Amino acid sequence: MIAASAPREAKFGPSSIWTGTPTHYCAGCEHGTLTHLIAKALAERDARERTVMVSSVGCSVFAHEYLDLDSVQAPHGRAPAVMTGIKRAHPELLVFSVQGDGDAASIGLLELLHAANRGEPITIFMVNNAIYGMTGGQMAPTTPVGMVTTTSPEGRSVPQAGYPLDTTKLVASLEGPAYVRRVFFPISPTPAPDFFNARGALEGMQAVRHAFDAQEKGGFAFVEFVSTCSVNWKMSVLDAKRYAAQVLAPLFPSGVLRDRFGLERR
Amino acid sequence: MTAPRQFLKGNEALAYGALHAGLQSFYGYPITPSSEVPETLATQVGRPEYPEFRTFLQAASEVEAINLMLGAAATGEKTMTATSGPGFSLMQEGISYAHGAELPMLIANVNRAGPGLGNLGPEQTDYFAAVKGGGHGGYRNVVLAPDSVPEMASFPSLGFSLAFRYRTPVILLTDAFLGQLKEDLEFPTIESPTFDTPWAATGARGTTRHVLSSMHIELPEQNLVSRHLRDKFAEITRREQRSEELETRGARVVFVAYGICARLAQRAVRVLRDRSVPVGLFRPITLAPFPRDRLRALVDEGVRSFVVVELNTGQMVEDVRLAVDGAAPVRSMNQFGGLLPSYRDLVDEIGALAA
Amino acid sequence: MKTEVILAGHGGQGVLELANWLAYFHLARGRHVAYTPSYGPETRGGKVKCYVVASDEPIDSPIVEEPDLLVAMNIPSMDYLPLLKRGGRLLVNSSLVKDARSRADVTVTEVPAAGIAAALGPYSPQKGRDTSIAANSVMLGAVLAIEGEELERQRATVEEVFRHFLTERKAAYIPLNVQAVEDGYRHVRGAPPLLRAIPV
Repeated sequence: MIAASAPREAKFGPSSIWTGTPTHYCAGCEHGTLTHLIAKALAERDARERTVMVSSVGCSVFAHEYLDLDSVQAPHGRAPAVMTGIKRAHPELLVFSVQGDGDAASIGLLELLHAANRGEPITIFMVNNAIYGMTGGQMAPTTPVGMVTTTSPEGRSVPQAGYPLDTTKLVASLEGPAYVRRVFFPISPTPAPDFFNARGALEGMQAVRHAFDAQEKGGFAFVEFVSTCSVNWKMSVLDAKRYAAQVLAPLFPSGVLRDRFGLERR
Repeated sequence: MTAPRQFLKGNEALAYGALHAGLQSFYGYPITPSSEVPETLATQVGRPEYPEFRTFLQAASEVEAINLMLGAAATGEKTMTATSGPGFSLMQEGISYAHGAELPMLIANVNRAGPGLGNLGPEQTDYFAAVKGGGHGGYRNVVLAPDSVPEMASFPSLGFSLAFRYRTPVILLTDAFLGQLKEDLEFPTIESPTFDTPWAATGARGTTRHVLSSMHIELPEQNLVSRHLRDKFAEITRREQRSEELETRGARVVFVAYGICARLAQRAVRVLRDRSVPVGLFRPITLAPFPRDRLRALVDEGVRSFVVVELNTGQMVEDVRLAVDGAAPVRSMNQFGGLLPSYRDLVDEIGALAA
Repeated sequence: MKTEVILAGHGGQGVLELANWLAYFHLARGRHVAYTPSYGPETRGGKVKCYVVASDEPIDSPIVEEPDLLVAMNIPSMDYLPLLKRGGRLLVNSSLVKDARSRADVTVTEVPAAGIAAALGPYSPQKGRDTSIAANSVMLGAVLAIEGEELERQRATVEEVFRHFLTERKAAYIPLNVQAVEDGYRHVRGAPPLLRAIPV
């Protein structure tokens, strides 16, 4: 049964949309955090009965194990097209997907950019951990120059593989989207040694809410969550957070790139 | 004086036939010789005559088109596309996923000639891709083959019925000739059946939620699903074989042909019957499931040999041989590269057999 | 009754349009029709070629392999001459095809389609314009004459054909095209063009 709508100030803790299944995500992975934030945001708006999730291919592929929602599995990269098909058939539904950077920025770039350009009222969360996580650490379009992966054993080189792709900037270059934002999501090191702040999670919660708000106002919403993958980066969890703060944060700067409905001003 | 009947291209008839069958969405990408289908439908979206037809979207590619259909089909909507060979190739991934998640949809392939870009003439070279499955993972499509403009109009309804009854993609396999051919037709009375779709993903209700996925990470689970898909096609094969016959009673030799080749064979049969040569025509309507039971029965009824006429280097002939199972010789007559055989070639072939 | 026609020419001559009109004429007369552009067993001939089959009975093959009538709108179309049925009819657009070679077993009819159409200019609603573009309508009239239709009785059918295909902005050209059909028909029947009052 559906729990009564939770008060909006509830920030963390279990949600009525959480199935209770423990996640398979590795220690320190931001995927689990994002899944919780989505469950929270949907519970807040009591949206379980009017939500369809599209599972992408990548580490988010098991999202339907954790979120007690209707869900449709998309082929690799095609989630924005599948979401569009659902949304056009049932405009009253809230339709979203969690895509990885390989899914959205490599194999599915065409589907992402065209859905964005048409301004489809759907919500896409892209977890960018700069690597292919599920398939075991191959180079992604977002991999920083010099990063060693299983398919760039000498480190990513520009002549060989080009520059890291800035997906959020690409999406924001189009007229179609209504809400485009990038969040630095991991806990990040503070000046105090061995202390980390969790501002990314709070910012992420706000971004998730606004991305659903934007869809409900009829707009295309895209949020990139700059994240870590300590296992495939072959680092400790905390070293991965430090690396993300040092290398990924400047490469993929946080910010609100599009806010057509003025959601950030409230 | 008003024309008693309509005069439509095959592709136009296909579009109107789908609308009469209650089409709700069309997703596609332009490709010759199928483009009249989207061009016709684009003029009809939002019209009061077809209140159910609410969505027409020209996709960015055939890959996007088939995935847009996956989403629409997941909500239980009647969705279709039309394409030709190169686009059909791009759609194979999505068709495989649709089988995996058991999503009904209608895909029309107006077959053009040759691999690669080929040419724009008619061929039946996509028989294997449609009938044997052009994508990965071992699924079986239901494949329908119209042979006239009136059938182009009536087959979308049949296609949707089968698609929803069995929760399966259905391929409507036609060719450039039938797509461009114009014939008179009285628009058939087409049923717009509604189907129960309790499986559709339109929001979780109470303890019920709908997960439409082709991913089954546990080995025993994938085994069960694959077994289910196999059993489903076995049931379709038992129940849905369709074919049509012309002059097979008393025939010693029978042509086996579908699509435009069946029309050529009709003429050859008439010419030969006028000369008292005992020939007939067997036309598969469902290329998959192949109407093997009826074809095999013809041998018991006295047919001594079969001549398979098709616009490729020999594809359906394999299914005919499987059906006949050595009980009678099966010869292959082919034309390809966008060309058609002459009906006289068919007449001569029988002359050689009869001699 | 069953007639099988091949119509051929080059792009811009309105050959496909002419074939559509002919097919629709027969449909309006209650016959089964089949029209196919371009495809067939042979590859030679003019750039545009199509088949029209009209029959009281359902049509088996829509492919015309032995036409009763060949409409040759240009010189390359004459390549189809060997296909013509023994005793068949060859209709030549003599505005373009001079000294048409033929076969002893077929009947040739020459119609200077562009010339007849151009002569309509002063009398047509499009007075002062080049009306030679209506050459394909002249040929429709010629085909109907050859096929033994009585135009006097079928005028309404011809008008219906044009009303079906010439809609909206093109509807203004229906009277010109009907006149072109009349003159093509009369030419084949050996009658002079109709005298028409010059519209004011």
